[in-house]
Amino acid sequence: MPILRRMIRLGLIFVLLTGRTLLCAQTAPVAVEYQLKAVFLFNFTKFVEWPADAFNSDQEPFVIGVLGGNPFGSYLEDVGAGEKVNGHPLVIKYFKTLDEVKSCHILFVNKAGITNLSDLLSAIKGRSILTVSDASDFLRSGGMVRFYINSNNKVQLQMNQDAAKTARLQISSKLLRLTDKYEPK
Amino acid sequence: MPFHDLPIQKKLMRASLLISGMVLFVTCTTFFTYEFFKSRQEVKEKLETLGKVISANSTAALAFDNPTDASEILSALKLEPHIESACLYNKEGILFAHYPDSVHLTSFPTKPAGEGYFFSQSFLDGFQPIVLGDKRLGTLYIKSDLSDIYDRFRLYFLITAGVIAVSFLLAYLLSVILQKNISLPVLALVETAKAISEHKDYSVRARKYNKDEVGLLIDAFNEMLVKIQEQNMTLSEFNTTLEQKVKTRTSELEIANKELESFSYSVSHDLRAPVRAINGFAAILERSHSDQLDKEGKEFLHTILREAGRMGHLIDDLLAFARLGKKEVQKTMVDMTTLAKETVDELLKLDSENNATKINVKTMAPALCDAVLVRQVFINLISNSLKFSHNKPDAFVEIGSLEEGGVVTYYVKDNGVGFDMRYYNKLFGVFQRLHSYEEFNGTGIGLAIVHRIVTRHGGHVRAEGKINEGAVFYFSLSSLIPVNH
Repeated sequence: MPILRRMIRLGLIFVLLTGRTLLCAQTAPVAVEYQLKAVFLFNFTKFVEWPADAFNSDQEPFVIGVLGGNPFGSYLEDVGAGEKVNGHPLVIKYFKTLDEVKSCHILFVNKAGITNLSDLLSAIKGRSILTVSDASDFLRSGGMVRFYINSNNKVQLQMNQDAAKTARLQISSKLLRLTDKYEPK
Repeated sequence: MPFHDLPIQKKLMRASLLISGMVLFVTCTTFFTYEFFKSRQEVKEKLETLGKVISANSTAALAFDNPTDASEILSALKLEPHIESACLYNKEGILFAHYPDSVHLTSFPTKPAGEGYFFSQSFLDGFQPIVLGDKRLGTLYIKSDLSDIYDRFRLYFLITAGVIAVSFLLAYLLSVILQKNISLPVLALVETAKAISEHKDYSVRARKYNKDEVGLLIDAFNEMLVKIQEQNMTLSEFNTTLEQKVKTRTSELEIANKELESFSYSVSHDLRAPVRAINGFAAILERSHSDQLDKEGKEFLHTILREAGRMGHLIDDLLAFARLGKKEVQKTMVDMTTLAKETVDELLKLDSENNATKINVKTMAPALCDAVLVRQVFINLISNSLKFSHNKPDAFVEIGSLEEGGVVTYYVKDNGVGFDMRYYNKLFGVFQRLHSYEEFNGTGIGLAIVHRIVTRHGGHVRAEGKINEGAVFYFSLSSLIPVNH
């Protein structure tokens, strides 16, 4: 029955093509807050400079990793699709455990999925990874950029410059203007 | 006064001022135009640069959705007082931040429009896209007032006005000095020429200032003066000698003339007595002793009487002619027509044999003359005509006047025997006769008297004639009399 077979095949392709959208449609819509954070994560690539040895080759992708569950839905892909960072193709990766984090340049740590921040951060200390999170004690634990909501209900940035310096990341002064400085007590 | 009639000094002044004015005008206009476009360009470039700087600075603020920071960045524009207002739109085209705070949001364009900066009446504004890498983050709108340009223009205007004033003054002063170089020699030459023509003093020389064309002219002028002076000298010398000569000759002539006149007068006067004696005694002889004479003797006596009478006439005429030289001409306005008619009547009364001659007296112009003398002229001319034409069967005499070149000429015309123009020279001489006494009697003084009278009036006499066809005698009484009389 070639016709029937073909019909099944077409149906499969249809499911494959539309599946993701269907899946997304099924999940809860991403909060505006996270849409904004996704854009911010991508924008970090423009205002932060990574050392040359962060890449093994020119073709090596620029990796934005998300650890501990994906709060962005497909939004991060939407923002970064087809983009390049200084010639490196942008790739979004979702990590479940720290062990999976190998090649990575921006790591978003979802506060929901991580219990021991200090261990995690000390594990990647010294590597040129811009660590970003919305966890409240993230900077105290050694993280670099923290998202928080200010009194105007706007997403704001706080930065631990020392940590970035240690990771040999150069933060643009323009970005620094926007961020609250973290002063370790 | 039109330009070409102006004195040379003013002409030079005006020319140089006009030229410098034109040059200044063109230069300043060029300068002004150049500065106008340049300053517009500069202001535009400045705003563009400013826009680029603001755009570059505001990338992060737009990227991280931070209007506070964006406003802060925009507020840096207060250092640039010409910036009236500015605002940022995010990539969705929604107003994101604005400057200054006092400006109401409605005064900004609701949406970003096309890229670029444009001038309008009193401001310059434009949109500057804000791009990061290849991503459009938003748009900057910036608006600048043009007081910068206007301030600059005010300054330029003041400078230009100053430059024009100073240059014009300099041009004026320079032309005052330089034009003297040209005009002074010319004016001096003119003054000299004027002085010469007024005072007729050819010993004056024009002063030479420069070796230019005017200098050459002055040289030529002076040379001409030298020549004139020389010629004047020879001329006056010549004149003096000539005058001297004329004086001597005139006095010599006068003396000779007087001598001649007194001689002829005394001769005529002295001749009169013996002729009267001859006449008287011949008459007595004829009256009282003719019976003692035979026929031949009577004939001789008759001849003696006739010739003695003729002699007496001659002497009378000669005396009259001589007296004419002494008599003064007393001019009055004379009706020539009446005068001629009276003369004709008188002559016909005296000699009735001429009644057959047709005499036509035309209306003539009056003349300013001595009536007694001119009557004599008419008597002589008309009697001549009657005398020389009465042999003709259809004799006629015409008296009239005509105008020749502003001069009234009177004429007496007949169709008598006329005369040969070859002997014209003899016509007006004393005792000159073209016909024999036997043919036509007369003393040969009549035309000489006519000539003398006419000449004494300042007029001219002339005659035209042809043998057997008649003669015309023309005379005028003054060289010029008014035409409209």
